[in-house]
Amino acid sequence: MPLDIEQYLHTERLPHMWCAGCGIGIVTGAFLRAMVDLGLKREETVVVGGVGCSSRAAGYVDVGTMHTIHGRALAFATGIKMARPEFTVIVLTGDGDGAAIGGNHLIHACRRNIDLTCILFNNQVYGMTGGQVSPMTGWGDLATTAPYGQVETPFDLCRLAEAAGATFVARGTAANIRPVEEYIKQGIQHPGFAFIEAVVPCPMEYGKRNAPGGVLAMLDDEKARSISKAEAARLTPEELEDKIVTGVLHHKVGRPEFQRSYASIVARAQAEAAEQAETLQSESGGAVS
Amino acid sequence: MDNRSTSAVLDSVAAMELWHSHLLREKIDQSSLLVQGNRACALGALDAGVRFFAGYPITPSSEIMEAMAYELPRVGGVFVQMEDEIASICACIGASLSGWLGMTATSGPGFSLMQEAIGYAIMVEAPLVIVDVMREGPSTGRVSAPSQGDVMQARWGTHGDHPAIVLAASNVADMYRLTMAAVRFAQRFRTPVTLLADEVVGHMRESFSPELVGRYRLTSGDFDFTPGYVHPDLAREVHPPHILGSEAHPHVTGCTHDETGFPTNDAKKSERFLHELYDKVTNHRDELCLYDVKNEGKGRVCVVAYGSCARSARAAWRLAELEGLPVEVLHLYTLFPLPIEVIQTVARRVEFMLIPELNLGQYAREVRKLAENWTTVISMGKIDGTLITPREILDQVTRLIGKYESV
Ligand SMILES: Cc1ncc(C[n+]2csc(CCOP(=O)(O)OP(=O)(O)O)c2C)c(N)n1
Repeated sequence: MPLDIEQYLHTERLPHMWCAGCGIGIVTGAFLRAMVDLGLKREETVVVGGVGCSSRAAGYVDVGTMHTIHGRALAFATGIKMARPEFTVIVLTGDGDGAAIGGNHLIHACRRNIDLTCILFNNQVYGMTGGQVSPMTGWGDLATTAPYGQVETPFDLCRLAEAAGATFVARGTAANIRPVEEYIKQGIQHPGFAFIEAVVPCPMEYGKRNAPGGVLAMLDDEKARSISKAEAARLTPEELEDKIVTGVLHHKVGRPEFQRSYASIVARAQAEAAEQAETLQSESGGAVS
Repeated sequence: MDNRSTSAVLDSVAAMELWHSHLLREKIDQSSLLVQGNRACALGALDAGVRFFAGYPITPSSEIMEAMAYELPRVGGVFVQMEDEIASICACIGASLSGWLGMTATSGPGFSLMQEAIGYAIMVEAPLVIVDVMREGPSTGRVSAPSQGDVMQARWGTHGDHPAIVLAASNVADMYRLTMAAVRFAQRFRTPVTLLADEVVGHMRESFSPELVGRYRLTSGDFDFTPGYVHPDLAREVHPPHILGSEAHPHVTGCTHDETGFPTNDAKKSERFLHELYDKVTNHRDELCLYDVKNEGKGRVCVVAYGSCARSARAAWRLAELEGLPVEVLHLYTLFPLPIEVIQTVARRVEFMLIPELNLGQYAREVRKLAENWTTVISMGKIDGTLITPREILDQVTRLIGKYESV
């Protein structure tokens, strides 16, 4: 008997392209289960990926899907949502795709509070291109382009998204996937911009240089470093430094959502246009030339 | 036509904002109005049925997006000012793949930012209209000095082997009708179409009415916005479009793909696919190449020109007639695909082809490749931010045919 998630999966395209131990599949699984629970209609759901291993998840999902260009998935998704507001549009992106080359689009999508759901797979590295540093690579970590160790500080993407105006922000890990599934569901149902950061292991490109214990140790480490928002509130900034703060970190209702706001502009402008046409008609004595 | 009511409406401040609007325009179509090139472009887009525009401000193109920002919601369309040109064109492609047709407008620097996504649009066969109102320079240059410096960018700006449809407007009526032509070509061939205008063409005001645009005029009946519609005559050349959200819930990718929409690494399939993208455009040169010949067959010199230079070339031809100089003018509205036949036919009969351009001979190089077997091709480039005058062209013609007399 086929699994429930298979209705949303291009099973004919399996096995997938990801390396053994990669965490992207774990989060993709959570996404598929969230789709099942929400009963999303395949013809009204669009999944947009950027470029990278994470973004490739879009190609396994059997709804309308787009594999776009590096960093710009949110911009494509904005066009889709504005053209077809009835669609549920979900963006899958990586930490390089979404936070480096696409960082500007991310903050502007947050600012607009457009009704999209963005799932960012944070594997702390550029996986697809072979292990270069990403904006989420930790201080001191090794990468092919940081052979002496990374000396830049990563973002706190959830705080960035919140500050930029996202109205639903959550973070989870592949090591504890059930809550991530829940965040994705809530995010999709949330009528505004939902940002979900999923911390995932990349044993091949990040782990082999930085985590000698292999992927199980990486997952254990994710678990050990995860704390809740409430716990985080009791810690000093120094104590928080290597922690992964998980949970729904921000949820705001009432901030205007872009597509709906624009729809009300359209209604107003159309009414005005009709009124002006009428005035013109009566001024010219009803004669239509 | 009631002139009193029209002028009464035009007098009020609110109506001044509206003068270009659909409903109002219907009332004043009969008389011609002083219309700016950029506004005529927006009008053409609206008349063709464009309902999605995303852009980012840049002189000298911004009036196009300003007009669209005002007009689109009035006709139930969508306008978004995005965070940059990259986002703008990506949003347009998203809309195009959702069954709309996306349009954007920019100038050289913004056009450069769009290039990667243009490659993607070609690959995923997204119909798209991009207007580049060209200004001088690389970089900021002189923002309101006219130029034709983006001709090669329009042809080869994006990566990879790809087809290109590039039109060039020379006056306000062109801005209207060529925008419509761009929409039609984009729709028919499911590929991005670039409309080039020199700054002066975007900013000039001329008397204009859609009724008076003459040749190559299209009307709303020439457009079919049914999502996924393929014109029957192109059914064997244009791939069936993948429209998001349809029953087929397709996959769209910029990777070389086969008919399923999914990537393929098969060498034969990849090559065939790339050829098909190319051929669907180049096999239809006859339809795509719009041009005018003045004084056909009567010149020893043919001035080949486009954009603002074509206006000067036409004026030069009239002056030449007065002075008894045998000049013809080949006015190109389509720069790419190259109008090979048209150029070679003229090349066979004239001694010289003179190409005045506001760049250092970008198009002259193309003409030379096509024509040098039969004629002498002379490039006349100018990059000081001023126009090439009819007199300058005429002087050059006079020199070429050995009749130079100082005037
Ligand atoms: C414009 C452009 N620049 C660079 C690349 C090469 N590139 C492909 S994937 C990638 C990094 C992706 O990193 P990330 O988003 O973290 O995804 P991951 O592969 O780690 O999941 C890069 C730089 C590209 N495809 N396009």
